[in-house]
Amino acid sequence: MILPEKMSRILIVGSKDKLRETIDILYDLALVHPLDFSEEEGLAIGAPFPSASDASQKLLKLRALEKDLEIEETNFGPQIPIGEVESNLSSTIDYLNAEVTGIVETKNLTQQRLAALENDRRLLAPLASIPLDIELYSGYDSLAVFTGTVRSDPEPALRAAVKGFEIFKSKNNDFVAVFVAKKEAAEAQRALVQNGYAEVAVPKGKGNTEQSLKSIETEEVEVKKALADAEDKISKLRADHRAMILASDEHLSIEVEKAEFPLRIATTKNAFAIDAFVPTKQVEKVQKELEAKLGKSFHFEVIEVKSRKETVHEGSEIEHEADVGLETPVKMGEKKPISLFNGFTELISTPKYNEIDPTNVIAITFPLFFGLMVGDVGYGTIFIALGYLGLKKCTTDDWKTISTMLFFGGIWSTIFGLFLFGEAFGMPFAPHGEEITWSSLLGVELPSSIGIGNIEAPLGIYNKLNDVNQLLYLTAWIGIFHLFLGFFLGMYNIAIRHGLKHAIMEKFGWVLVLLGMAILLPVIVVNLGDITGIEFGDMAVLIPIVLIVVGMAISIMGEGILSILELPGLLSNILSYTRLAAIGVSKAGLALAFNMIALEMLAPMGGLGVVFGIVVFVVGQLTVLMLAIISAGIHGIRLHYVELFQKFYTGGGTKYNPLRVVRKYTSER
Amino acid sequence: MVDVGSGIVAIGAGIAIGLSGLAAGLAEKDIGTAAVGAIAENPKNFGKSMVLMVIPESIVIFGLVIAFLLMGNM
Repeated sequence: MILPEKMSRILIVGSKDKLRETIDILYDLALVHPLDFSEEEGLAIGAPFPSASDASQKLLKLRALEKDLEIEETNFGPQIPIGEVESNLSSTIDYLNAEVTGIVETKNLTQQRLAALENDRRLLAPLASIPLDIELYSGYDSLAVFTGTVRSDPEPALRAAVKGFEIFKSKNNDFVAVFVAKKEAAEAQRALVQNGYAEVAVPKGKGNTEQSLKSIETEEVEVKKALADAEDKISKLRADHRAMILASDEHLSIEVEKAEFPLRIATTKNAFAIDAFVPTKQVEKVQKELEAKLGKSFHFEVIEVKSRKETVHEGSEIEHEADVGLETPVKMGEKKPISLFNGFTELISTPKYNEIDPTNVIAITFPLFFGLMVGDVGYGTIFIALGYLGLKKCTTDDWKTISTMLFFGGIWSTIFGLFLFGEAFGMPFAPHGEEITWSSLLGVELPSSIGIGNIEAPLGIYNKLNDVNQLLYLTAWIGIFHLFLGFFLGMYNIAIRHGLKHAIMEKFGWVLVLLGMAILLPVIVVNLGDITGIEFGDMAVLIPIVLIVVGMAISIMGEGILSILELPGLLSNILSYTRLAAIGVSKAGLALAFNMIALEMLAPMGGLGVVFGIVVFVVGQLTVLMLAIISAGIHGIRLHYVELFQKFYTGGGTKYNPLRVVRKYTSER
Repeated sequence: MVDVGSGIVAIGAGIAIGLSGLAAGLAEKDIGTAAVGAIAENPKNFGKSMVLMVIPESIVIFGLVIAFLLMGNM
């Protein structure tokens, strides 16, 4: 479907004693996208079920345990049946709480002790080379003690500054302990500072420094062992209970979410009302399922099948009912392969309910553009292989999206590389000029065309480096067609929102302008050498100018005088598509440079030259390959985002997010 | 031997692409700074940031087209 799936707004009303059951049914259906209720007169938001607070508390404890045991979520894991989770939940939490608290406390204490010991050792280390006991550094009434590092020997300066002092120096003279009378302390300090003195505090303690250091080291060994023990115990607990903890977490999270669901809906004293969106095709299924499970004790109503039209209420306060497109949830397509490209649309924003899902366009033209920019059999096949692997192995959406680009882009790269450019790894198959080719490299005459059935398919029409002007011309035409597509999609979008008249007023003028530019393009290209040669009386010039003027007139009527400013923008949009050629050319140039160095300059030298040649060839090809992914990917998608989307896409819709349960670590059975 | 006229054309082509590249770089510098900030705050801004980021790139494409047209007239 090119438009997002039709949605119906439904209302489910029932008595409160059936609420829990209803919620379970809706979660199992995984089709209902609820609308959060904001309080109105007579209706209040519901209160969470009592089970919510119990489950939340357990969840809190469990999360604390996960943090202590350093358990991280993974994408895969054993699935534990819910029954087992439920019956073991409380006992597991209590048991682990008791076990883990003690161990974690020991671990924290030993870690603190270890840090303290390390600090002491750091402070004591410089004192070791001074033959004084630790207690001798402090506790004097009339003596000041300076201990610290110095840059140069302070003794001469001290001798000049103070009358009496005693100095101890470490072996390499970078640490000193100075004892002076307190009244001369200031002078002594000045003398020390002149020699780059920086104070180092002496730790508290008694006895010989070296002995203290030794005892610290022995204790450190013990503490480290205790720490390792604690960590062992923790990792054992983690290994034993990991699956159960993750399963319990998931189970409780689901419980809490369901128990708190009443907060999202309207309730009265005895009844509830759920306002929600359901895909129109599925409404019947939802109703039948509810009837089967709840009998007749509820009221089900389809309020409306959401129309895509935006109506203008004249005179009323709400002038524009633009929220049609915004609040109605949009279900992105699920049909492969187009749905693989959903990530590219989501990168900008979710489409609105009443516009074309641009994924359909991206899925077709983006790989085409990517292929045109790469246009090389060698890189193309590598991309196909990488993309295929990525699609099979990658689990995150981001990597899946990139793999999609590589796979489908690679297919077109190979096709264009084979038939349009006749090129592999930056080298053409057959010679155009004097460049190195696969023919000259392999010593075999490669054909310049290949017969498929009755059709003679050429292997290489254009050479990227020789036929630049033709390629620029070709890509300008691609741009024109792409922009036409954009304008027609834009017209369609406006037509379903406001009707055909609006669509023509807003977009048809631009279609005419673009048509004019398209007819004018060949005339300009032919006369590029001498632009004065253009005959204005000529029909080929007159018709497009009339088209542009008429088109502009329609646009000015539809959108106002300011639309003139968009005219140069349209021209620059067309020129922007020439990047399709430009990037292909620059990539070919880069590959050619590497190939020339490797194959024409290094390899013929023989011996070591061959080895260097191979290295340069491989590194060079990898560089070109990476640049091809980055530049072709970014520029290809950019042409959609900037040039194409401007013509029709609004975006900003709400993503369809039905109530559902996703189980990774638990299973229903 | 290349004549002086062709040399001047080649220099012109070089200036066209060199200056337009410089201009695109200057323009993108500021947008890029802001874009990185926006993405750091909320990774969802990536798509929109990228669209804004690449707008000045067209400048250098125009330069490139002009350069090729000049070279074609040599």
